[in-house]
Amino acid sequence: MKIKRLVSILLCVMMIAMGASAALAEDTVKIGHIAPMTGGLAAYGTAVNNAIELAISEINANGGLLGKQVELITKDNQADPAETVSAFNALLGEDVAAIIGAIRSACTSAITGLANDEGIVLITATSTADAITEEDNYVFRSCYKDSFQGAMCAAFAAAQGWTKVGILYTVGDAYSSGLRDSFLAAAAELGLTVVEEQSTSDISAVDFSSQLATIASAGVDVLFAPYYYNTIGPNIIPQAREAGYTGPILGADGFDGTESVAVGDLKAYENVYFTNHYSPEDPSPAVQDFIAAYTAVYPPESLNALAALAYDAMKMLAVAIEKAGTTDHDAIREAMVGMHYVGVTGDMTLDETGTPAKSVSIITYVVDGDKLVQKFVTTAQ
Amino acid sequence: MTDLLQQVIIGLRIGSIYALVALGYTMVYGIIRLINFAHGEFIMVGGYTLFFTIPVFINVFGLPAWMSVLVAIVVCAAVGVLSELLAYRPVRKKGTRMTALITAIGVSLLLQNLAQAIPMIGPNPRVIAQDIFQSGSINLLGVTTNLTAIFTIIIAAFVMIGLQLFIHKTKVGRAMRAVSENKAASTLVGINVNKTIVITFAIGASLAAIGALMYCAQYRSVTTTMGTMLGLKAFVSAVLGGIGLIPGAMLGGILIGLVEALVTAYISSSYANALVFVVLIIVLLVKPAGIMGKNVGEKV
Repeated sequence: MKIKRLVSILLCVMMIAMGASAALAEDTVKIGHIAPMTGGLAAYGTAVNNAIELAISEINANGGLLGKQVELITKDNQADPAETVSAFNALLGEDVAAIIGAIRSACTSAITGLANDEGIVLITATSTADAITEEDNYVFRSCYKDSFQGAMCAAFAAAQGWTKVGILYTVGDAYSSGLRDSFLAAAAELGLTVVEEQSTSDISAVDFSSQLATIASAGVDVLFAPYYYNTIGPNIIPQAREAGYTGPILGADGFDGTESVAVGDLKAYENVYFTNHYSPEDPSPAVQDFIAAYTAVYPPESLNALAALAYDAMKMLAVAIEKAGTTDHDAIREAMVGMHYVGVTGDMTLDETGTPAKSVSIITYVVDGDKLVQKFVTTAQ
Repeated sequence: MTDLLQQVIIGLRIGSIYALVALGYTMVYGIIRLINFAHGEFIMVGGYTLFFTIPVFINVFGLPAWMSVLVAIVVCAAVGVLSELLAYRPVRKKGTRMTALITAIGVSLLLQNLAQAIPMIGPNPRVIAQDIFQSGSINLLGVTTNLTAIFTIIIAAFVMIGLQLFIHKTKVGRAMRAVSENKAASTLVGINVNKTIVITFAIGASLAAIGALMYCAQYRSVTTTMGTMLGLKAFVSAVLGGIGLIPGAMLGGILIGLVEALVTAYISSSYANALVFVVLIIVLLVKPAGIMGKNVGEKV
């Protein structure tokens, strides 16, 4: 009997508490966030979530949005497209004003159509695939798209006077072949000549020595190799140097993280350049203030370019909600269109598809004692 | 000319690894007519064993990195023997050759997913930062070649010669050949068939461990799926040379390595993988039993 009564009292208390929190929640502006908080890409999800929390705590300290505090609701998608759809539907049920997410382009593209159908603003901080914002009116992003990166790489090569180009890429991967296509298009305009082009049939290849030997003997000024760091670090760079190629190796944001997977003689990793969304060494106050604020609350090693992009995405959303003067989904979308915003990751103006034209940072590697560190080279517009 | 020689050395180096792995497929097939699809995962087990033991060998014992292959051999042999004892043997007693084949696929998936589920291993690639063999390169007939490639080719040659001697000159080797020819007759002359099969699995898996050492020395990273493509190519090598035949596996491995390197260099790098399989299909059309295989009728 006693236990029964105790349980019923407990239930009553819980129901009152839940009712109270529901009543409280109506006085907040809710922002949904979808990211991989567990699984292989959890490091990305954590960094991005930290940065959004940081942006929200700053907004709340300044009085919140529309006179209300901002509340973040994060759903884990385990970097899986199907899970992303369930997370999206769960967030709709929680009556959020707008949604930030997801990390991988494959996950984001699973919900762009849904965002349009439901008429809710979806802003992705990190999905760079070209098609993400092209079809849907409610989808925006704070990062640049892949084809822009390829063009910036070609422009950097031209500016350095590297006119004879070798290309190594993967036919079977959208990221790699997309970058190669946009690089080729820009290279033709800039007067660069591609003297040797080699490829692998899939992204998980580990042996590039045949291809690199051919490229090395073709006598190129620069090697453009759009791969991810897990291939660039242990395989492509050491094998290129072994093949006798000592010239510059150029790539895109997939190179970020190479320092964590470098092998053998680190000297091999010098003369490597890549484009990225921002550089922590960029002396501009926007970047340095963000780094100081982030590292004051979260572990410094978790900070990366994705976090900076997510911070900007949340701040852009805040500007849009203030401008709209309401949390009405269509009004927020109206406010997002064509937005001009100066953030941590540069000066950006959203084009008609919702993708910003912005500056990129060019970064290189230098050997510092027994480890490899990133060094900021320049910003290119 | 130097270009061609360079590509040939690259082909020999890749081919040596294929050959070592192919030996494991062919030995097991030869003795129990089972295509052991889990063999690729034995390489993965070897790779991760090296990843964990190399720092210990260098920093704690002060021994050269390649010595950790001894631990990898023991671990791989244990995994090989355990899969025979726990999965293949019980199934072989009850089921058909087809059920055994499906079991092999099951063991392969089990090992791969088990590795991903262990937090210390996980799904992300790991990098072996330390040089496994002496770093540096030498000039060979005008071609600069790294020492790792030379070590890989030499070690593979020694292992294959050693295996050939073992199969032909020792009592255990003779027993293995006898069992592969006729199990019932081997039992009649007093050979312990089950013990011989277990030894075959142990040797096949040990060769996978040596293959893993060469893979890690060259490619420096380990992933839970590293054995899939490597295993498939090695299996193709074994079939190409004539499955069940030890010299066939060696020849097949070297050939596939050379075809891959030369196709990449002189025809098209994107089609290298596809052309490897085209070569296999052509050889099998002309000579169904493989290059070294003899066409013998199924014993009834």
